Amino acid sequence: MPVQDRTNEFRACVESIRNRSSLPSRGAEAKQRLLQSQGKDGGNKSDFTRMASAIAKDISSTTIKLGKLGQLAKRKTLFDDRPVEISELTYIIKQDIAGLNKQIASLQAYVKQRSTQGGTKSAEAKLVDEHNHNVVMLLQSKLADTSMTFKDVLEIRTQNMKESKDRTEQFMHSTAAAASQAPSSSLLFGNTQRQDPMGDGSLLAPRFDPKGKSRASTPSNGDILALDLGSAEEGTAAQNGGAFMQMELVEQQDTYIQSRSTAIESIESTIAELGQIFTQLAQMVAEQRETVQRIDADTVDIASNVSGAQRELLKYYASISSNRWLMLKVFGVLIVFFLIFILVS
Amino acid sequence: MKVYALAVVLAPPQKTCTILSSASDLSSFSFYQRGSVGEFLTFFSKTISERTPQGERQSVQENNYTAHVYNRGGAEQLAAVIITDQEYPVRPAFSLLTKMLDDFTTKIPQTSFSNPTAINFPEINTYLQKYQDPRQADAIMRVQQELDETKIVLHKTIESVLERGEKLNDLVDRSNALSAQSKMFYKTAKKQNSCCVIM
Repeated sequence: MPVQDRTNEFRACVESIRNRSSLPSRGAEAKQRLLQSQGKDGGNKSDFTRMASAIAKDISSTTIKLGKLGQLAKRKTLFDDRPVEISELTYIIKQDIAGLNKQIASLQAYVKQRSTQGGTKSAEAKLVDEHNHNVVMLLQSKLADTSMTFKDVLEIRTQNMKESKDRTEQFMHSTAAAASQAPSSSLLFGNTQRQDPMGDGSLLAPRFDPKGKSRASTPSNGDILALDLGSAEEGTAAQNGGAFMQMELVEQQDTYIQSRSTAIESIESTIAELGQIFTQLAQMVAEQRETVQRIDADTVDIASNVSGAQRELLKYYASISSNRWLMLKVFGVLIVFFLIFILVS
Repeated sequence: MKVYALAVVLAPPQKTCTILSSASDLSSFSFYQRGSVGEFLTFFSKTISERTPQGERQSVQENNYTAHVYNRGGAEQLAAVIITDQEYPVRPAFSLLTKMLDDFTTKIPQTSFSNPTAINFPEINTYLQKYQDPRQADAIMRVQQELDETKIVLHKTIESVLERGEKLNDLVDRSNALSAQSKMFYKTAKKQNSCCVIM
């Protein structure tokens, strides 16, 4: 899948549009001429800005389409659901995002190539390079936001489909209705959806509006341009696209696949339950640890008390057995008193 | 829950099918019925594979036989049929068919498809025997079963731990009492020593 550098096509487009409507573009022309006169290779610099602005235009148009899709997806009517439109729009947006991704990748490669090409590293060239890098990063982040929103919209869509299917079942008792399978809240589905829908690594940080003139074009232009890029492959997004397409096509094959996925989901929930049980078990044993410690302490006390008591008794015994003479005297006195009492009574 | 027959069928679209390999377990039928039942099963498999479009799965019920057929098509134009009774669960049946087809395509080269009698695929018999009990043979069901057993064991464990907790409480109380008593014992012994010094 070679990266296509279509800046020439784009330039031709811009020229043709400019020739068609000469009036409003004079301001833009002046700006461009100004930029071209600045810097070392001004032609290349405005090239970069042109590419970046094209990408930003596409991103904005895709966002608008995504908004439309979101509105469509939020509808909760049972009968007026328009699956064909929604699936078409989904497909278009998906291809847009893939195309945008490629464009940003090519832009990034272009920036890298330029930064290695540049001979004398003047301060200005360094600033220009930094600026280019920033622009690329920010475009990537915008694309990432768009794809996140796309994913959210699709999730909403599948939830609504599930709800409508439930309501349909309620009202019409037709269990063999659409094979719309909503991704459950299971971890498996959650993980596959959390992956980057492009399979690409282009998810980066902050937000930025690259140039004022990138907003100058109308969205309708962006639409035409975006549709022309429809020749972009959707290979990378096929993995998730398959899952999303699946819920909108009614096939008999789905029965088998659905039953498999239900079985696997039940396995997964069983495993989760098992995990919970283990945690409970661990908690109970931890609580009992405190009790065991108390018993331990008590036992130690008992041991010391008993040994102390035994010591005392031994001492007592020793003192008793050593006091024999005193004992004899004491007993002798007692016997005398005893005899006196007997004689008196 | 029995599997009566398994078969791998060469199913070119719109043309007659030929059975490449089959195995059947007719032990539940009386000796004299086995011939006719076997023929019926072969005929059933062939007809069904002819009537299933490529890339689709179907289940057909006939008296008390249920046949599941998976026509994989592809380059080899193979289909697999399994004939069971009505209780046999559907999903493992299709898993078995897919597995069998994969195995078959890896072991038997496509050139020998034109000569069905020369094809030697003994694993079909092992599959038939193994899958008589789908709970053990099918991976997903086996995992589920083991997990259920583990869950039961864990429930018992938790009950035992609760009992242990009660016993530990009992032990704590007793050890408290014993400790108090031993303390009294110690004090009494000490008092004895200090009281009778004069003697």
